[in-house]
Parts: sequence; structure tokens; C-alpha cells
Amino acid sequence: MADKKVAPGPIVHVAVLEDILNLFRANSLWPMTFGLACCAIEMMAAGASRFDLDRFGAGVFRGSPRQSDVMIVAGTISRKMAPTIVTLWEQMPAPKWCVAMGNCAISGGPFEYDGQYAIVPGADLIVPVDVYVPGCPPRPEGLIQGLLLLQDKITKGEKRNVLRRFQRGARSAA
Amino acid sequence: MSFDDFKEGLGALLEPSAVRPTDFGKRGYSLQVTAKRDQVEPIARVAREADLFLEAMTAVDFADAFQVIYLYNAFGAGSRVRVRVAVKKGESLPTVSTVYDAALWHEREVFDLFGIPFDNHPDLRRLLLPEDADFHPLRKDFGKVHGVRSTDEIYGEPTA
Amino acid sequence: MASQLPEPIVEQTYYLNMGPQHPSTHGVLRLFLKLDGEYIIEADPIVGYGHRGHEKMAESHLYEQFLPNTSRMDYLSGLLFNHGYVAAVEKMTGIEVPPRAEYIRIVCAELNRISSHLLWFGTYIMDLGGFTPFLYAFDDREIILDILDRITGSRLTYSYCRFGGVAKDVDDEFIRATREFIGRLRSRWEDYHNLVTKNVIFIHRTKGVGVINRETAIRFGCTGPVLRGAGVAYDIRRAEPYSVYPELEFEIPTGAAGDAFDRYMVRFQEMEQSLRIIEQALERLPEGPIRGRAPRKVRPPKGDFYFAVESARGAVGFYIVSDGTGYPYRLKVRSPSLSNLQVLTETLSGTLVADTISILGSVDIVVPEIDR
Ligand code: SF4
Repeated sequence: MADKKVAPGPIVHVAVLEDILNLFRANSLWPMTFGLACCAIEMMAAGASRFDLDRFGAGVFRGSPRQSDVMIVAGTISRKMAPTIVTLWEQMPAPKWCVAMGNCAISGGPFEYDGQYAIVPGADLIVPVDVYVPGCPPRPEGLIQGLLLLQDKITKGEKRNVLRRFQRGARSAA
Repeated sequence: MSFDDFKEGLGALLEPSAVRPTDFGKRGYSLQVTAKRDQVEPIARVAREADLFLEAMTAVDFADAFQVIYLYNAFGAGSRVRVRVAVKKGESLPTVSTVYDAALWHEREVFDLFGIPFDNHPDLRRLLLPEDADFHPLRKDFGKVHGVRSTDEIYGEPTA
Repeated sequence: MASQLPEPIVEQTYYLNMGPQHPSTHGVLRLFLKLDGEYIIEADPIVGYGHRGHEKMAESHLYEQFLPNTSRMDYLSGLLFNHGYVAAVEKMTGIEVPPRAEYIRIVCAELNRISSHLLWFGTYIMDLGGFTPFLYAFDDREIILDILDRITGSRLTYSYCRFGGVAKDVDDEFIRATREFIGRLRSRWEDYHNLVTKNVIFIHRTKGVGVINRETAIRFGCTGPVLRGAGVAYDIRRAEPYSVYPELEFEIPTGAAGDAFDRYMVRFQEMEQSLRIIEQALERLPEGPIRGRAPRKVRPPKGDFYFAVESARGAVGFYIVSDGTGYPYRLKVRSPSLSNLQVLTETLSGTLVADTISILGSVDIVVPEIDR
């Protein structure tokens, strides 16, 4: 029984099991409590009474990176914070995903201007991002949609994203 | 313990031309003081005795010198004081953290963003930027700015 | 083989690093603690993890372009910062604001203050281990956000004030919804007090914890509820009245001991006072235009200027140096949380590690406002 899908991934690859596992993973995403700036408040709002992320199995905000499997980068990444984010990302056990929430985490947002010195313009310069949720800040509905997209992506077993500098046709990162 | 005490104390400390009342409604402070380098700490002491608090501290970069600004305030109506000290580029300023603990961080911030060192500050590290940063971003020779002015263009008086 | 007895336990100090990623530091604050057992000897808050260079940004942007930045500094009370900045530039340039706009600003600003305090309430209790009040507080907060969303177009980062007025007029629906909200929140006080204020665990974790007295507050330049909790009735809204506050009646709640519980109570009473202000302002809301005459491009005259307003966390001031062009020569934001956080270097020493959370939460900081 030759497996046709020889994709990069686990050494032992059992397609059906993998699909089932992915289904489980997608429906119990545990995000890390990790607020950087304004967007974090909307992330909290998404988890609180009205929007209730728990409906999608993604409401278990964990304080420790070792217990979580999705990192929501919510807010501006300052140069001082960037090494910490990389460390946190590396501390998370695989399989893990990353959501860039807000314009700051996507491209630097309002703080990317001529002569800026303080921020890293884009989370995908330092960690591979799977889903981008635009907005300043995105509404909680936006974040929920982003997480639903991520669930889709996981269940379909789509390829993971890579860092921006490895993306095809990426503009050279400053 | 009031604002009048503070004014009196200032009068004993500085020459009358250095202390000028301003229109609070127009400027947001009711007294402007132009101090010299060695008067910074005595002024802080007078303010401390008169029950004022150090509200903010900052600096402005001009072509000729830095102007370090201290804003003192009392718990009363319209009693803000702006103290301005000129610091030549490359010079330092005595710390007021011996009087006000608040200055510990304000001075660190000014050092961080402008590179003005403070003498006798117990812990002069960068406050906001990473410790390994090698620039002082709020100087006018850094990044994109719209023109560099001289002090008297803005404050209307030559630097002491 | 000689048995290896365990070494006797040697008392020694050690270091604990809390943050910058920690669920109860509310953002990216790092506390570097020197401990002796469970007791803190020295605490060194390390800030700057949210530094975004707002002040440098101002120097290369027009006064109008900088407007959206203000609400991103302190995103919990964005409208108050927004109001402060706009009022500062108006005062500098001499732009008149029609009374209706002033009243609308006050209503929105006070709503924003309540939403900020509600969020603080929810997260503070959550840090102390109670999850339910968080859901209650967010429930109420969402209503404010809906009300503000309708007229400002944003849930969090409002850029609603304009030089010379506000962006959009309020309508009857806004007034009706706000009135309804006032009634609703008033009916909730009892729930909150039953749930939290009278809770024995809560009282034990806050009473007598993190005392900041008047003298300390002055030395560190604290303002806002931290100062009022220490018994000083200092509020910019009264001390340096701006906008229409002189016409409105409200009290300045103060504490006595200056502990975490006092600060908690002060914020609670402040919310009630804010409701009173909103009620009066809605009652008096005059008819008329919402935008005064303002130049297309603001050019304040040369000179320096300071203007302060009372945000949810204390006095926030804008020190603007203008060189007569459309770009600020220097714009310094005096952020209340910077001074309020600095006081922890002293307050935390000698306390238990577990109390850190309680004290830090009771001071109520917003990190990007410290870092700017
Ligand atoms: S995208 Fe906007 S709301 Fe989000 S962190 Fe950046 S500035 Fe704040």
C-alpha cells in the first residue's frame, strides 16, 4: 500500500490517522494568552461573554507556551520584544500555528513609517504565520473568522506557511 | 506648604529675571523658570518642601543645545511650573533623583531617548529601548525630522 | 559507601523573572524580582517591550496625522487621550469648540472611562482567581462599546474628536441607549458588591496590601486612583477644569489607607460619578453645530504648551513644542502609568510574591502607554 502523498512531515505517515488527528487538533485549539498591545483587548473580548471563543473550542487561553498550540500575535512587536516572541514560539510543542492579529502584526500597521526605529514590521519576519487577521484592531468577529480559517486549514492538512523571507516573491525584508 | 511658599523659595534662589509668571490658560503652566545647571537640584528641594510633585520631565533637542524641561505641579488650581535648563551637547546634568524618586525613571528616559547623562544617578540604564541599542532616537539628527531650530527661535530668548 | 546526607538548606536570595509574557502583567511588562524565600527584597520593573516610538513619529507627522496615534497609546481609555491631545492643540491654536461638541465629548469620554474601569475590574478579579466577574464586566462593557461603536465607528481605538469639534453628531438612539445603560449599570452595582466587594477572599487579598501613602505618591508623582486612594482629592477635572466640567456636579472619591482595597473602591465610586456626569451632560446637551471653524491645516504659534486631562489612570499631559509649522517640533506625552508603575519599586519590596499580582493589578497600568 504505497502512500502517494509523500509530503514533508512526520517520518511515519499514516494518512487516515493524520486526518483524524488533524480534525481533533482543529477543534481544540488552545491559544496562548499573549497580548502585546491594543489588539490583545479585542482578543480578550473574543474570549469573554458575548463572543465566547469556547464555541469553537478555542477558548482555553493558556498562560504557558508549553501548553498551547496556537500563538495569536496580538499587537505591535517592538524590537525589544521580538527575541522573546521567537523564544516563546520555539517553546511551543509542535504541531503549532500562528495567527497574526491586527495590522501591526501583519506589516507594522500605523507604526511603519519613514525613519521608524522601534518595531518589527510584521510577525512573519520572525515566526511563520498561518492566518492574517487585518484590522486596527480587528473586531472579535474577525478574530473568530481567522480561527475558523485556521481550523479549515488544519483539517484540510494544508501546507504550513513559512517566514516571509522564504516566501516566493517576497519583498526583501528590511 | 503651598505654591506661594514655592515662589518665595525660588525668589531666594534665583535672580528675579529667571522667574516669570505666564498665563495659565494660554500656556498650561503658570510659572516659567529658566535655571542654570547647578540650580536644578536646589529648585527640586524647594519644590519638595512646598509639597509639589514632579509631574513630568523631558528634553527638547535644538541646534545649539538640549533644553531639559521639568514640570512641577501642586495639588491646587493652576499651579504648574515649567523649569527649563540648557544642556550643551555632550554635557551632563546633576540628578534630582536624590529629591524625587520619580526622577529615577524620568532621567533614565531622557538618557535613553536623548543621550543626556545625569551625574550621580544610581542606576542610569536605558528605560525604553533595548539595552544594546546604540542610538538616541529623539535627537534631531536621527530619522526623519522637519528642520532643526535654535532655542531662541522657540523660547524667544538666547541660551544662558 | 558513606551515605550522602542532603546539604542543609542554606538561606539565600535568588532572582525570579516574571514576564514579559505573563498572564497577569497585562501586556508586556517584565518584573525582575529579588527574593528571599517568599518575600520580595527588590523589584525592578523593566518596561519598553511595547515601545513604538510615538513621540518620534509625531515629529514627522502633521498634527492631524498624529490624531489616531493618541488612542493607541492608552487603548483602554483612548477617547480620553484623544480628547486631551485635541484640546491641547485647540488651546494652542485658539480654535473654538461649540458647546454641543464639548458635551458630546464629555459623554463619550466618561463612557470610555467606565469601560476602562470595567475592564480593569474584570481582569483584576480574574488575576486574583475569580473568573465570573470578568464575564459580568465584559457583558456591561460590550454595551458601552456598542454605544460608542455606533457613533465613532470603532470599538477600541477611537479617533472621534476633531480639531474644533467631533466627527459625527449623536442622535436620539445614542441618547436613549446611554440612558438605558445608566439604569442597567446602576442595577448591577449590587451584584458586583455581593460577588466581589463582600467576598472574604477578596478582602483578605486586598486590605492592607500594597499601601501607597500620600508621601510616597508625591515622591513618585502618582496621579489618578492611586493618588486618590491615598486620600488626596486631586483630579484634573476639578483642579484645572477643562471642557464643560466646571458646569457639572460630581464628587472626587478618595480612600484613606491607600491600599489595594481603597484603590478598588475609588474606581468603583468613580464609575458611579461618571454615570452622574453623563446623566447631567445628556440633560444639558445643547443644540447647535458640532464643528467649529478650524483651519484645514493646524499651525499653532511658536512656543511650548502643556495641557492635561484626567484619564482613567491619572493625569495625562501633552507637552507640545511648536515651531510654527504644521509639524510638532517635540511632543511629549506625560503618561500616568509610568509614575504609577514606578512606585512599585518601593511598594513591592517586603511583600509576598503572591501579593505582587494583587498590587500590580490594583495600580492598573497599560503598558503601551508607559512605553509610548
Ligand atoms: S493593529 Fe492597531 S489596534 Fe492592533 S496593536 Fe496595532 S495599533 Fe493597536
